Amino acid sequence: MSADRQQITLVVDGVEVEASEGAMLVDAAKGGDVEIPVFCYEPKLGPPVGACRMCLVEVEGIPKLQTACSTPVRDGMVVYTQTERVREAQESVVEFLLVNHPLDCPVCDKGGECPLQDIAMGWGPGRSRFTDPKRHFRKPVPLSPLVRIDRERCILCYRCVRFSQEVAEDEQLQLLERGAASYVGTYDDRPYIAPFHGNVIELCPVGALTSEAYRFRARPWDIEDAGSICTLCPSQCNVKFTVRDERVARVLARDNAEVDDGWLCDKGRFGFQMVSSAERIAEPRVAGSPADWATAVRTAAARLRDAGASTAAIVGGQATNEEGYLVQRILRRALGSQHVDSRPGGRLHAELAIGLSQPELSAPVRALDEAEAVLVVGCDPLHAMPILDLRLRKAIRRSGTRVVVASERPTALDGGAEEAARYAPGEAGAFLAALSRELASDAMPIEDDPHRADAEQIAGELRPGSTVIVWGERIGHGADGQRALEALLSCARALRCEDPAGGLIEVPDDANGRGLREVGCLPRLGPGLAETDEGMDIAEIREALTSGELDAVVLFEVDPVRELPDGPAWREALRTARTVIAVSMFDNGSTEYADVVLPAEAYAEKEGTVTHPDGRVQRLRATVPHFGDVRLGWHWLVELSALLGEETGIDSVLETLEALAAEVPFYAGLTHDEIGGRGVRWQERDAAAAFPASAGDGAASPEADSTKAVSDGIDREVLAEASGEPAPPPPAGANGALRLGTYRDLWATEVTDRNPALRFLGPRQTLELAVSDGERLGLADGDEVEVRSNGTSVRARVDLRERMRPGAAFLIEGTAADNANALAAARTVEVARIGPEAE
Amino acid sequence: MTELRPTDEMTAAEREALIASMRPEDAEGVPELHEVEVPDELREQIEAAMSRYPQLRSAAIPALWALQRYHGWCSPEGIRQAAAVMGVTPAYLEALATFYDLFRTTPAGRHQVLVCHNISCWLRGADDLTRAFCEAAGVGAHEADHDGASSEDGEIFIKGFECLGACDIAPMASIDQRYYGPLDGDDAVAAIKQLRTGAEVLPGKALAGRPTAGGPEPEADPREAEMEGA
Amino acid sequence: MPETRLLFRHIDEPGLSSIDVYRKLGGYRTLDKAFKELEPEEVLAELENSGLRGRGGAGFSMGKKGSFLPRGEMEKYLCCNADESEPGAFKDRELMTKNPHQLIEGCAIAALAVDATYAFIFIRGEYWEVADILDRAVAEAYEAGYLGRNILGTGKRVELVVHRGAGAYICGEETALLDALEGKRGNPRLKPPFPAIQGLYGGPTLINNVETLSNVPHIVRNGADWYRRFGTEESTGTKVVSVSGHVERPGNYEIELGISSREIIYGLAGGPLEGRRVKAWFPGGSSAPVLTEDDLDLPYTFEALAKAGSMLGSGSIIVADETVSIPELALRTARFYHHESCGKCTPCREGTNWTVKMLERVVNGMGTPMDLDIISSVQENIIGHCLCVLGDSMAMPVGSMVQKFRGEFEAALEGVRVAA
Repeated sequence: MSADRQQITLVVDGVEVEASEGAMLVDAAKGGDVEIPVFCYEPKLGPPVGACRMCLVEVEGIPKLQTACSTPVRDGMVVYTQTERVREAQESVVEFLLVNHPLDCPVCDKGGECPLQDIAMGWGPGRSRFTDPKRHFRKPVPLSPLVRIDRERCILCYRCVRFSQEVAEDEQLQLLERGAASYVGTYDDRPYIAPFHGNVIELCPVGALTSEAYRFRARPWDIEDAGSICTLCPSQCNVKFTVRDERVARVLARDNAEVDDGWLCDKGRFGFQMVSSAERIAEPRVAGSPADWATAVRTAAARLRDAGASTAAIVGGQATNEEGYLVQRILRRALGSQHVDSRPGGRLHAELAIGLSQPELSAPVRALDEAEAVLVVGCDPLHAMPILDLRLRKAIRRSGTRVVVASERPTALDGGAEEAARYAPGEAGAFLAALSRELASDAMPIEDDPHRADAEQIAGELRPGSTVIVWGERIGHGADGQRALEALLSCARALRCEDPAGGLIEVPDDANGRGLREVGCLPRLGPGLAETDEGMDIAEIREALTSGELDAVVLFEVDPVRELPDGPAWREALRTARTVIAVSMFDNGSTEYADVVLPAEAYAEKEGTVTHPDGRVQRLRATVPHFGDVRLGWHWLVELSALLGEETGIDSVLETLEALAAEVPFYAGLTHDEIGGRGVRWQERDAAAAFPASAGDGAASPEADSTKAVSDGIDREVLAEASGEPAPPPPAGANGALRLGTYRDLWATEVTDRNPALRFLGPRQTLELAVSDGERLGLADGDEVEVRSNGTSVRARVDLRERMRPGAAFLIEGTAADNANALAAARTVEVARIGPEAE
Repeated sequence: MTELRPTDEMTAAEREALIASMRPEDAEGVPELHEVEVPDELREQIEAAMSRYPQLRSAAIPALWALQRYHGWCSPEGIRQAAAVMGVTPAYLEALATFYDLFRTTPAGRHQVLVCHNISCWLRGADDLTRAFCEAAGVGAHEADHDGASSEDGEIFIKGFECLGACDIAPMASIDQRYYGPLDGDDAVAAIKQLRTGAEVLPGKALAGRPTAGGPEPEADPREAEMEGA
Repeated sequence: MPETRLLFRHIDEPGLSSIDVYRKLGGYRTLDKAFKELEPEEVLAELENSGLRGRGGAGFSMGKKGSFLPRGEMEKYLCCNADESEPGAFKDRELMTKNPHQLIEGCAIAALAVDATYAFIFIRGEYWEVADILDRAVAEAYEAGYLGRNILGTGKRVELVVHRGAGAYICGEETALLDALEGKRGNPRLKPPFPAIQGLYGGPTLINNVETLSNVPHIVRNGADWYRRFGTEESTGTKVVSVSGHVERPGNYEIELGISSREIIYGLAGGPLEGRRVKAWFPGGSSAPVLTEDDLDLPYTFEALAKAGSMLGSGSIIVADETVSIPELALRTARFYHHESCGKCTPCREGTNWTVKMLERVVNGMGTPMDLDIISSVQENIIGHCLCVLGDSMAMPVGSMVQKFRGEFEAALEGVRVAA
């Protein structure tokens, strides 16, 4: 980013320093090994505010002292940071800051890693002349269940409130009152609970905001920091695990502007407790009884050998590339089965898989900062890939990027978006088809297309050659999925997403969704997206297990009963299956049916790689020893393979990477060294040229797929039959019927349940309806209802929402109870009130 | 909501109970309009203010004025109503309400008496005037001078205020948003009585209509005479 | 020497605040001419040549400030700073109350000069009655076609909004005013960028005081040369001076800069109360270092007052006679700034807070001799180190009082110790 900035020379304390023109003096001075103390300066928060006045320095030619945090450097600038005048100014600021700061460092959680402590030692006067009483607050009080606030320690640097206003934009945390009476607080003393609020702990330069989960657990001298990747969602943020006594005690951001901008969501920040949870599965089990690893792996091998090609495997999003590669390799090579899948949403056609992942179409996360327009379609980043939500807010706020949203359900970005269009659940394809018609210069819009007006509005905001499309993998789900992906590809071509300032970023359903696809965890595509013989997708596997067509299933870090569509049917399938081998950290609705249970590694224990949605291959480092008798995943997979007669010759995790890179041509030659601490986007390596060619320009031709021929007009019958779905229902809202949509809530996940700190966030099932539908049906916020479809029902609490499309009803997938995966999406549902009001 | 008290003074069980009492739905994001009952009159005023500015947040202070007029103070309920109309968080409006001196964030007496206690008025006897107002209204002078205080009958709110920009009529007070001065103890007693009985306040003491200090128009300067049409 | 009334001309004419009387006295003819006959550049040039200096306190050339605004397509804004809150200042109040159309005409012409579509009068919330008057006058001006989408049929547009503040002295600081107008807490912004480049809503913005803008119709109507005949070379035109405190006739007087301070305090304002003497006086509002009886013959100009270690500021004179305790005056002054500090920057927030605590001790007899040195040192540590001028505005007068009346502070310490 500094490449196009001119290099200049300035003089800091007599030493010539090179810097990019316009860099802030405080940063430039570091080049001359000069540290200028700061409190409020934090570039992640936006432009400097110059509030704390700690960084006052002397600049030749300017009579007043200047704040180094806000002074851009110029060529020939002469700066003094050590003069008597500067020293006095800095000492006075420290003295002022300590006027109201308690001297309770020995009992303060920040002690030892406190910028105020360090700066007071380095730049303070060493004594205070202040003898009057300091200000008092009740302390510490919970700001939220996760953060405590000690207002006496606060030095009013504004960092936390700036985060709330200008980064997360939740605007719940504010400065209240004025002047010396100011304090950080919320409306009506409410808790500050928002998905990113934990970041304020890390931003606080004193011990005013502390982590409920970390308070008094460790001192800086008895911890070690270890860098790795958070794989709790597709954001794959770069993190540092704070390790004490071989346990993860805390998670901090490990700033990587290419990935996370130095922020974490609360799931990533507080989700570490499950690593050392006593609830974890600590040792293998065979037929419900504890077993040693050798027995367990031998038993698994024996059962799988029996099942042979009638084995299927499902790989969950937490799996590394290495693990995914080995699982599919065992299935394909040792057992001769092609039934491997990692996508909850049904079959992905080869042409689309390849077409949508073309390297030139793929945008890096950083492209969002510079694109003129961003189309967010079919996902709410806040829930699906939270850190992207912050990135898009930043683009709007700092670069003036025009963000437009098209989705089934209201998104957190709607407020800042230029346009937000709502289509009915299951109609992503129809909407995108309308959009692609609007974008195509020669296509004729269809006059009575109900999506035409919205599509026209959205198209009007987009800029060919400088538009990034952020799309949710979910648009490819269901009956309309293939049409949606084809239309998406047409839109991408029409918007010239192959140009440098444009591109696609997919928000996958699962954390390592992209990596698992690329290493071969798909029913018809092997490593490197190379075509293989036909295999079953997830829905087909479920049916085949139930019907007895398949004998065995390997569940690698996935809980189909909770996480995949039609949980009750999965229960049935697993009950019926002859062999279930589950690899899991915790007991759940699926391990119940497992013949062999193998304990899974936690993400903080794993070695391996994952692939970010933008193609960045990142490395996981083991940061703590294994819990209980847990073992390296890749290692026992290699053993299992050998027992099944397929010797891999692999003897380390690096060799696993080498083996997979040998089969994934566009990963060729990847090594741990090259990946390093920041990862590497495979699209930016020479090997990217080896990515399979797209079937053709424009939309992938579905005709190429002879077994599932779908004409250009899209034969719904065929498609519906192929994907096991009935034909799409009548238009949403017709006759007052409600059409069901489901979504994954950020907190409706096992991570929430397994981390005591996060449990309070686990959502109850909620039925979201448009306000007008609520009025029409006589339903109010908080009403208890039963949502029924095809003889199945779930209980939920009503939440009426503005910006919902009338006729649509939303439920959450993956809740601990009343999981919406019992109901099929895009179907008509009935809602009945329960409880006394019903009579 | 449980009252927030220092957690270090609690037992582990109390702390757990406190944390358990903080539910995600207690956090206040942007309230949706259908969740909040907003009086039509208030809503209209706020929407009218929003339409006057190129950016809607400029209407925040007018919105707070409107809700203070309606509710008598910037109550949490009123703030939430305004937040729902404007599409902002109540916290955002509360941050404003607590920043600006004229917004009251606690319930206050119906009539507002702001007594200037800044330099010029102080020089001319503001402290005595404040005491006289407080005595007449029956509120504590020290309390009134600092944070403002209301009479027990809820009729009178008195607050010592920084310079009101009327040093020419020192010592002075702003009574229900109109300026009066110079005032003495008798005026204070009379004013409080008039406020309580609904009579006209301090006839003849209002700033409005007071001529300029320099008196009648001086002779026109010869240079001025060159003014076109003057 | 009598007053020289340009802005105050006809000031007590009955009904002047109505558009009819204002027009009868020649009002809005300049607007008519400017919108129909003049190019923005001509108006701006006239203002620049007139030498008109901002009347809010800083004294920067108004025309020059206007010329800093970039030209071009982007939305530009005009803000009239009517947040008059400096203790001792009340001139804008009288100008707006009695002659609101003069200001409105000035705003419209200035908006034309800098190509601003939106103009705002940011008036302090305490001036509720005045804002009502302005609202009525603005409505009249819209009605008469002097404001709106198509001013006098010229196709030019100026929208004028009266924006009431809600009680915060800091909003008189121009960048804090912008934040407040954007609906935020009135915290000053870091400069640069200056408002002329990046101001309201991020657009180029001209901010001027009420008195400054009230001058605009007169200058554009009679020409820069005519205007320069008033006042001095450096400070052209007239200045409305607010005089208050211990004087016989407190009030606003329109003078030409250059007359002696004694002339204003004694000649116009009638001098100290019967039998009293001037002990200390603020020549430019409470932010100005105090002067003493010895300084009364200083010419009332920006330059002479600066040379004497103080400033003319907003042109507000507060007189304190010998009955006043200077330590108490210092405390009163410090309390004000402590109350008004926005809290954004450290030296102002903590420095005002600490100073008040020490002065309270001194006044209450709990002080120690060391406190006086610490008070002085704290003032020095504030000056020049803050984000805006508010901190300095306390430190300078308080510092000056401790320095010039140190004996009185020491006596306060001694006296009380003896009494105790």
